[in-house]
Amino acid sequence: MIYKKIVSALVLAGVVASPALAFANDSTELEELRALVQELDQKVKILERKGEISVEDAATAKKATPVVKASEDGFGFQSADGNFKIKLRGLLQVDERNYSKVGGLGADGKNISGFDLRRIRPIIEGTVYDKYDFRFTPEFGEAKTANAASTSGIVDAYVDARFQPGFQVRAGKFKPYVGLERLQGGADLKFIERSYVSNNILPNRDLGAAIHGDVLDGRLNYSAGIYNGVVDGGDNSTAQDTNQDKEYAFRVFATPFKDDVSVLSGLGFGLAATHGNFKGTTTASGLPNYKTAGQESNFFAYSAGVFGSGNRDRISPQAYYYYGPFGVIAEYAQVKQGVSNGTISANLDNYAWQLAASYLLTGEDASFKGVKPRQPFDTDKGGWGAWELVARYQENNIDSGAFSSGTAAGVVTTARYADPRNNAHSAKSWAAGVNWYLNQNVKIALDYEDTSFDGGGNANAAGSAGAGSFINIADRPSERTLFSRLQFSY
Amino acid sequence: MKKTLLSIVLVAAVLNFAAVTLASAKEVTLLNVSYDPTRELYVDYNAAFSKYWQTKTGDTVKVNQSHGGSGKQARAVIDGLQADVATLALAYDVDQLYEKGKLIPKDWQKRLGHNSSPYTSTIVFLVRKGNPKNIKDWNDIIKPGVSVITPNPKTSGGARWNYLAAWAYALKQNNNDEAKAKEFVGKLYKNVPVLDSGARGSTTTFVERGIGDVLLAWENEAFLAQKELGAGKVEIIVPSLSILAEPPVTVVDKFAKKHGNEVVAKAYLEYLYSDEGQDIIGKNYYRPTSEAASKKYESQFPKLNLVKIDEVFGGWTKAQNTHFADGGTFDQIYQK
Repeated sequence: MIYKKIVSALVLAGVVASPALAFANDSTELEELRALVQELDQKVKILERKGEISVEDAATAKKATPVVKASEDGFGFQSADGNFKIKLRGLLQVDERNYSKVGGLGADGKNISGFDLRRIRPIIEGTVYDKYDFRFTPEFGEAKTANAASTSGIVDAYVDARFQPGFQVRAGKFKPYVGLERLQGGADLKFIERSYVSNNILPNRDLGAAIHGDVLDGRLNYSAGIYNGVVDGGDNSTAQDTNQDKEYAFRVFATPFKDDVSVLSGLGFGLAATHGNFKGTTTASGLPNYKTAGQESNFFAYSAGVFGSGNRDRISPQAYYYYGPFGVIAEYAQVKQGVSNGTISANLDNYAWQLAASYLLTGEDASFKGVKPRQPFDTDKGGWGAWELVARYQENNIDSGAFSSGTAAGVVTTARYADPRNNAHSAKSWAAGVNWYLNQNVKIALDYEDTSFDGGGNANAAGSAGAGSFINIADRPSERTLFSRLQFSY
Repeated sequence: MKKTLLSIVLVAAVLNFAAVTLASAKEVTLLNVSYDPTRELYVDYNAAFSKYWQTKTGDTVKVNQSHGGSGKQARAVIDGLQADVATLALAYDVDQLYEKGKLIPKDWQKRLGHNSSPYTSTIVFLVRKGNPKNIKDWNDIIKPGVSVITPNPKTSGGARWNYLAAWAYALKQNNNDEAKAKEFVGKLYKNVPVLDSGARGSTTTFVERGIGDVLLAWENEAFLAQKELGAGKVEIIVPSLSILAEPPVTVVDKFAKKHGNEVVAKAYLEYLYSDEGQDIIGKNYYRPTSEAASKKYESQFPKLNLVKIDEVFGGWTKAQNTHFADGGTFDQIYQK
């Protein structure tokens, strides 16, 4: 611009001056002046053109410049074409847990109430060459899952190759494609703890490989995998398997109306199954313990010396339904477990089920994934976030054959697989809670859960006959929990 | 009554046949990734080919065009721009589709006539009307005070032809003395005030922005500028020596196969060699390779001494490595 002004001034100077120059008959000076103007004109044009080219080059370079992202959806960076991505995510759950009296962990027989860092997970996930996803999740929180065998601190470590939407391969340590609620993200759960179905019956995480994919325009999801195999609710370690036998898992899940505009568009249902064979020992039983809803103590454990022997087959019908702010998830899981006490063997059927419902008071649409408030909580702008009510009923039942007993002098005193005096036949829980989603990343939850047990009271019922025997055993005291959680996820 | 019924049946049959015929016709979309100055050529050619292909097969073909510096375009295809065909400025850039992307077979150049070059061209000068700097040959454009417009050889195929033409001239003038040729080309680039990324950009710089005294241009681009882009403002100067440019074409097998376009992509390039294709090439100021079209457009093109890259530089790979690779002669010259 400055150059243009200079040129204009010089041109004007030339025009104004020309009569005088002509008068002076100084044509040489005039020619020099013209040449100077032309030279300056060229310089201006060159500068302008270089500016244009710089803009073009910048636009071209922008197409190849990696993109850094920081938004409510998370932090990360990716190549300009999106084929290479890294996303940094995290999950922090700070709980305050209160327990009523049960046969618990504290010196006074109570479970210990207090603060708990349930999950501390920095998550690194990404994509290379557009098709190969990976996820790496260490765990620094307290492992609450039943039967957690993992000491490595690695929750997830896998690669997922998306060759086609209908043909993908995942390998590493990950959630086996079995349980519906288990496949829901830890930050997206409706309750502070998952149900018995997820925590006590179906596998949590395992090492293996699976093919999976979406077919029929994404209306049917399938998977088939082979894994090292874990006990019920188990989270396998990253160490090499300790036996030759593997576990196979299969699952199909249909969402036949997902693209329709109808009341059924949020319906999904499916069936999952696992099959494995495991021979335990008296020191490495390969059998699970089943935890109470509060996840602090067991309500059922096999006796010492009992071990897994034979097949371990699970089956789990499962469904969800979401319509507007309303959501419901229903899931059943049964495991047929071969057990032995070294003398006799049996196949025991243990099962669990849950029915959980949720309703968003603030009108957001419910979904299997997290809730995104219409208006984040903001005292300046008047937003209140999203509020959700939740309720659940669940049961976990133990095969009565687990308590099959022997007799001595006509009195039943020996348990074959589990002592009924210390182990309940069932746990039945109802829960209610409220979730407050301040925004997409911060959530506060409050759950109350009441669990009653059948048996396992460690004594004969007051006034009943059969002292010292396995009859008329009192029920274990109910467990009542009040959990609250502050969750931060991104 | 029977006649009426028969008529209805016949009409229904005809309509059904027509419906089946229409239903079976396909709509095909091709992407032609080309170098900078071929826009006008392929606009004309695409229309002709679409008409030809529809007549032959009933299918309609829409050809999308992408243009830019030849080297940049080759890189874009290697990086994922899914071209069905590539029509670039020089064989080295097409070679990269095999070397770096394995998108085409190694022997791609044997698949079509004239080493897959359906036309040739060369490099000439475009000067201001009246040729105020009296530019007649290469040695005139290295003089101090002469402003030369040419694109960047790192990104433009045309720029590499310009550079090599100048080098070949300098070698001839100096008994194949490479050092003197380097000095000559160095002087030339000292006179270059701005480097565009492609030939069309340089034409814009020279014709529309009015920068420079001489544009080193593709012959076809110079004709286009003289007759259309800068009619009445520029004129062509033919140097005593220039270089024979043989821009090649190829099907990008991997992407054409992925799109199900192998047959039509192959036909698209083969039709460049047809009488109609060669005629369109000639009309757009490229030198046809067929005998008939060459004769038809003979008078359009000046006669000049054209050297071949294989003869002077030992082929494109050697020329690329010596002159245009990072740290090569061009980098040495332009950084000075």
